[in-house]
Amino acid sequence: MNAMMQTRAAKRWIDWAIILCMVILAISMLLPFLWLFSMSFRPVADAYKMPPSFLPPSLDFSNYLAVLNSKVPFVRIYMNSVLIALLVTVGQMVTCTLAAFAFSRLNFRGRDALFFILLVGLMFPAQVTILPIYLGYARVGLLNQPVGLALMYLTSSFGVFLMRQFMLSQPKALEEAALMDGAGYLKIFWRISLPQLRPALSALGIITFTQTWNYYFQAKVLLGKQDQMTLPLAMDVLRGYMGAGNLSVVMAAMSMSILPVVLLFLIAQKFVIEGITMSGIKN
Amino acid sequence: MHRPSELARAQARTGYLFVLPTAVLYLTFVLAPVVLTCILAFAYYDPMIGSRWVGFDNFARFLSNGRSLQILWNTLRFTFFAVTFNVSIGLILALALNRMMPSWLLYFFRLSFFLPVIIAAAFVSIVWTYFYGDDLGVINYFLRVIGLPGVRWLTDANQAMTSIIIMDVWKNTGFFMIIFIAALQGVPKNILEAAVMDGTPAWRQFFRITLPYISPVVFFCIVYASIGALQVFESIVILTQGGPGDSTRSLSILIVEEGFGSFQIGYAAAISVVMTVLILMITAVQQLVSRKWVQQ
Repeated sequence: MNAMMQTRAAKRWIDWAIILCMVILAISMLLPFLWLFSMSFRPVADAYKMPPSFLPPSLDFSNYLAVLNSKVPFVRIYMNSVLIALLVTVGQMVTCTLAAFAFSRLNFRGRDALFFILLVGLMFPAQVTILPIYLGYARVGLLNQPVGLALMYLTSSFGVFLMRQFMLSQPKALEEAALMDGAGYLKIFWRISLPQLRPALSALGIITFTQTWNYYFQAKVLLGKQDQMTLPLAMDVLRGYMGAGNLSVVMAAMSMSILPVVLLFLIAQKFVIEGITMSGIKN
Repeated sequence: MHRPSELARAQARTGYLFVLPTAVLYLTFVLAPVVLTCILAFAYYDPMIGSRWVGFDNFARFLSNGRSLQILWNTLRFTFFAVTFNVSIGLILALALNRMMPSWLLYFFRLSFFLPVIIAAAFVSIVWTYFYGDDLGVINYFLRVIGLPGVRWLTDANQAMTSIIIMDVWKNTGFFMIIFIAALQGVPKNILEAAVMDGTPAWRQFFRITLPYISPVVFFCIVYASIGALQVFESIVILTQGGPGDSTRSLSILIVEEGFGSFQIGYAAAISVVMTVLILMITAVQQLVSRKWVQQ
């Protein structure tokens, strides 16, 4: 009995030691973010002063103003990013939910084949679709148009898959009862299924928004002009424009650029994690 | 009450209607472009003078050229190491966090390990350029403080790829950690408790019970990580622009340079077909292996 209590005490010590190590590791994971945030408040002249700082020295927003007053049309670029991310998020929430309802709740010929073909899309990288899209966009005048980038992603195999997984895990009893009462499928979708889907829709919305906010490869190919760019592209431009001396200003732009995604994650961590584990584990 | 046949028809009608937007968009922006890329890969594309078929020339050019082979090798090397470390470290972190702790602490852990995952590599790579600087770099500063020589993280051709892999693991391993935490929660507690009662050592519990149980998830993670790693682009573009020399150039960078820099559309298409075939092969191997091995 005594030995058992001893091992139990030892186990608790090991638990706490591991947690302590993880805390140190977790803080060091955050260092790049602390550094960039602190740098965005450092006077430009101190940008390269050592030791590096990981806490803001003061809350002086002059670097932020410098970004807004720079030659790079930062506000315009910001709005492009917002426009694309919102269009794609709303688009996917509509198209993926409709398709997922059909795939999980309705019977029609070719349903499973269609779903399989859609899933194959998970394996095609943007690299294998971008050349024809570029050539096609050049023809119809969608090159250098933020809307062009949004169009490409108004639906996604991942989104349909995620929503279908969720719907399959939901009970059908209410829907069947409504059907018995003579309700049409449109009504069932709108009145009964949709309200149950709120957690899944939040997960899809947040994941899609984040993903779209971060697109780089596609954006670099399709959006060449400065005032049509998105934020990930603008960072590199700003870095070049500002030169080595204005590191603090680039970091101010960076803080503003990652803010929506960070906020979204802080508020809705639960949905993001659930959405990701749901799609990762249950296939 | 509807009659059954009427009901089936209504169901089919609604089904097609609901699938329609996704089907049209998927056809336009995924399927048709993939098919067109495969066609372009066998052509010399020039809208001015006229395009012509060149058979397997584009592929031959890719496979017979030392530079493109080096770039293919870079990409495979990056993929191998990035996948190995991302998945294994993600699993180790998940095992470390798979114990009782206050919920605010778990929230903090998830936050700090997952934050790098959700911020674009295009953003964080710029920060890492300064961390990796030779003379003014943050990491070298600390190395010198403890009396070690600085490392030429990005300017040494033998080091640069390793530096990119380190950043990639920092950025992505939290994703796999989150997935493994959820997977570990599915391992039946009573079997583990029985093993503890029998005095089975922890490492043996892991290899005999936990790992077999979560093996489908491990396979999913390996495939998912490989598909992502083969496309590696922005972190390299921003950290090294593919250099020094060609030591860190990846297939994606080559596609952009050939396709949109030199307008070798057919050649770029062939390279992207090669990349896609690699992805399909990895997925196929995973399907085969997991059917044979997983959860026997």
